[in-house]
Amino acid sequence: MTKVVKPAFLTVLGLLWLAPVYLLIANAAKLPIDYSSSTVWKPAFGTALFDNMRDVWDRADLSSSVLSTAIYSVTGPLTGVLIGACVGFAIVALRLRHGFWWFVFVFGGTVFPLQMILMPLFVGYADTGLYDTRLGLILVYSVISVPFSAFVMRNFFSGIAHHVFEAAVVDGATTWRIFWRIYLPMSKSALVAIFILQATFIWNDLLLGLTLSQSDDVRPIMPALTSLQSTYGGSAMPVVLAGGLLVSLPTVALFLATQRIFSRGLALGQF
Amino acid sequence: MAPGVLIVAVLLYLPFLWTTYLSFTRYRGLGSPEWIGLDNYQAMFSDPALLTSLRNTALWVAGTIIVPVGIGLLIAVLTYNMRFGAWFRLPFLIPYAISGVAVGVIWSFILQSNGALSQALDAFGLPGAESRWLLDAPLNTFVMIGAAAWQASGVNALLFVIGLQSIPKEPVEAAKVDGASGWRMFRSILWPMLRPLTTVVVGLSIVASLKTFDVVYVMTQGGPGRSSETLAITMYRETFVQSEYGQGGAVSVVLTVVTLAASIAYLRRQLSERRAL
Amino acid sequence: MTDRSTMTRFALAGLTAGALLLAACGGDDGNGDDGDANAPGTSNGEARDSGTLKFYTDKAAWEPQFDRVSDASEEQVGWDLDFTGYSDADAYSAFIKQSFRTREKPTLFTWHTGDALAELVDEGMVAPTSDIWAEAIASGDIPADLEQYYTYDGEQYCVPLNVAYWVLYYNKHVFADHGLEAPQTWDDLMHIADTLAAEGIPAFYQTNILFSFVWFQTLLAGSDPDLYEALGTGEASYTDPGVVAVMEQWGDMIEAGYFSDPGLADDPQVLLNNGDVAMLNFGTFFTGSLNELGMVSGEDYDLFVIPNVDPSLDRTSLIVESGPLCAAQEADDRDQALDYLTWWVGAEAQTEWANARGDVSFNPNAEIRDERLAALGEEAGTDEIRLVERYFEATPQPVLTAALDGFGAFVTSPGDPMPILETIQAEADAYWATQ
Repeated sequence: MTKVVKPAFLTVLGLLWLAPVYLLIANAAKLPIDYSSSTVWKPAFGTALFDNMRDVWDRADLSSSVLSTAIYSVTGPLTGVLIGACVGFAIVALRLRHGFWWFVFVFGGTVFPLQMILMPLFVGYADTGLYDTRLGLILVYSVISVPFSAFVMRNFFSGIAHHVFEAAVVDGATTWRIFWRIYLPMSKSALVAIFILQATFIWNDLLLGLTLSQSDDVRPIMPALTSLQSTYGGSAMPVVLAGGLLVSLPTVALFLATQRIFSRGLALGQF
Repeated sequence: MAPGVLIVAVLLYLPFLWTTYLSFTRYRGLGSPEWIGLDNYQAMFSDPALLTSLRNTALWVAGTIIVPVGIGLLIAVLTYNMRFGAWFRLPFLIPYAISGVAVGVIWSFILQSNGALSQALDAFGLPGAESRWLLDAPLNTFVMIGAAAWQASGVNALLFVIGLQSIPKEPVEAAKVDGASGWRMFRSILWPMLRPLTTVVVGLSIVASLKTFDVVYVMTQGGPGRSSETLAITMYRETFVQSEYGQGGAVSVVLTVVTLAASIAYLRRQLSERRAL
Repeated sequence: MTDRSTMTRFALAGLTAGALLLAACGGDDGNGDDGDANAPGTSNGEARDSGTLKFYTDKAAWEPQFDRVSDASEEQVGWDLDFTGYSDADAYSAFIKQSFRTREKPTLFTWHTGDALAELVDEGMVAPTSDIWAEAIASGDIPADLEQYYTYDGEQYCVPLNVAYWVLYYNKHVFADHGLEAPQTWDDLMHIADTLAAEGIPAFYQTNILFSFVWFQTLLAGSDPDLYEALGTGEASYTDPGVVAVMEQWGDMIEAGYFSDPGLADDPQVLLNNGDVAMLNFGTFFTGSLNELGMVSGEDYDLFVIPNVDPSLDRTSLIVESGPLCAAQEADDRDQALDYLTWWVGAEAQTEWANARGDVSFNPNAEIRDERLAALGEEAGTDEIRLVERYFEATPQPVLTAALDGFGAFVTSPGDPMPILETIQAEADAYWATQ
């Protein structure tokens, strides 16, 4: 009985979840002149989707920002994940003194409303020469990723029995080696999850990129894309949607590609 | 770890200290800030719109802990040990991968009066097609919580799945031998052992919901007539729209203190109870 | 200057390894030029006669048009623009204000007249342009009427980026289908709205976000333009019977079904094109959006100046909006920026700009290719018309914010306007008390 009910329920719920995605694709594939809010559910056929995408690509000049955004979305979360894992490891495995408060200190980084730290960051960046440099953006994106990954890793590591650590110490392994050879490999799925979530966040970031950069080859892709939407006459709805869809392709692909890691069997059940 | 902490301190804490300083001043973005003590805080607490803002923020916190966390947990438990589970989870993850620009546009035309949602309700003969989803309070806050849940549920599910997969096999097998299954299995084995990741998901949800900004800003900008404003929107409005940096700073300090207090209270309980286990 | 750049060099030196790596990643052919462009005129104090000026605007969607003008200016005066666009006006204004504290100052930037510009002038952030104005008014390149919006304590600052007149665009097919013609009087207009309402078509577009002030502005300026102007200067109260009457009239029009749902997320140009609304009350900058959708002026859509609500007024009120283009006072290449502004107001630049935008120009000597707009531009210069500053610029910021919220609530649920007006007036009292 449950064998049928479970997949059926998940399918129905999944379809419900995909309904807005359907709307996105259907309307991104309409010619601007054909779009009307009274017929949003109507499917569209033809090549308008690609025309709209090409329109976005040329108009928002996305080609110059794709490369830098890709660099940010890889280096940022990578550094963030590693630092976060270090923090989690130090607190849980090494039993750092006042670990909770260290943790709260790092976690506090997620608490500040992003909108409020933007302007001081901009002023600081402008005065140190980090403004409008790729390095500056990599730095801020790495830092932004640290608290989340520290949180997840701290709690994930706490699920690993401490005797694993003690046993390794008895075997004469150095702390670094334990971290690198035992803890990190055991947390593969968590690390990948953090990485894809943060990479997606950075890929989709608008505010930091907008405020901390200016030239075409440093600015990430989202600020370039928002020029489509503006009070003073942006592009037509289908073009905006096509643009949104186009820049979502890499992140959707990333999710698709990494799903296998989360399927059963790679867990650390053996410990 | 030291460089990690240091860099967080410089890039995130310094700007916040500056904002805190500004909250005791009058500053319009030009010239130099002028010290006025607690005036901004006084002005903030005497503004009647703050009440709406607090109420909406509370709705967001409650709604976010119940809806996307609940759905995420449900999906995770149903799929974590199932064939093709990852593929069944995928529809819930895709919304997170789609860029904010598209999500904002899609939801505003789903939720506009006579928009896609109303048309769908109408087509299935369901009631509610006449609702002005985004125009009437508090309905607008509820439907926006729904839109946010659409994006967040998959992420929560993913985090729960990681937690479920790291649960050792032995207790689960033992419980199976004892004849536990379904709800009892979940209640007595999975739920307690899922604790570390539940803490992550709930902790992050509390923080995120207190800071709710993007969805509301895209859909209603806090309107009509400030009826769907959250604290983060109030803060943005004071700072960026009104250029009252001090006033916005005061809201932001209060928001931060509340968020920090809520998360410390929650984490302390969760993390220290666990240590006792 | 010295220690700033030493500091920078120090910071950069410390980060060389990373920077090199990045340069390697991003090093395509165009990079050399861009690197130079980021610091125009800073390396040596000498005036250069060509190069790139850093330009910031909150009108990100206008990038293609700015690019065209930039190409023209490079050809004609040797300077082009390094464009950075924001699409959120609030984030933009915070960014520009903060940038004056840093060495990343914009050279040229767009802004808003009224309160917003006064603030920058008070702090000495924008370069005076009195010479440019004197010359341009003498040569007829800028109408003298515009000068008041750019004058503070007898000096002018910035030059007009554009002007836009607020008119009613209408869908010609919808009008033709119902046997309607462009109105001559307010009564005609109300008759049109009635006819359409009977067919279930909302005559006018309205929204509760940002542009919620539009119909308030139209109704009040068309009923009592003196009162409208007095509101902006704090000499009249929002609870004045004249204002209350206008709100009540507005409420009646909403109740009568003249307006579209205020929460529609669809683009207004799409609504007009589909015939979901018959008329749009917008500035002439909107022509570009209609043309982009493939609508043809004179065939698919047309426009008319909104007749006065009160027919006894001797001149027709026409709302005008003018956005400034400014040069930063402390920018290293201020002189070049001022030269650029001199070029900008000239007929050649304006012909290029206005036609790229598909809009009117403030410069009567510019050749506007769109006949309808050209005629409107001429009409606006005659004695029949009284130009009235747009509400958005005419109202001080705190009052404006309260008013936009109030109007947004009113169009959503019209009712007794008094509580809303009282809230706005309370903000106004607080503001004018500090002035």
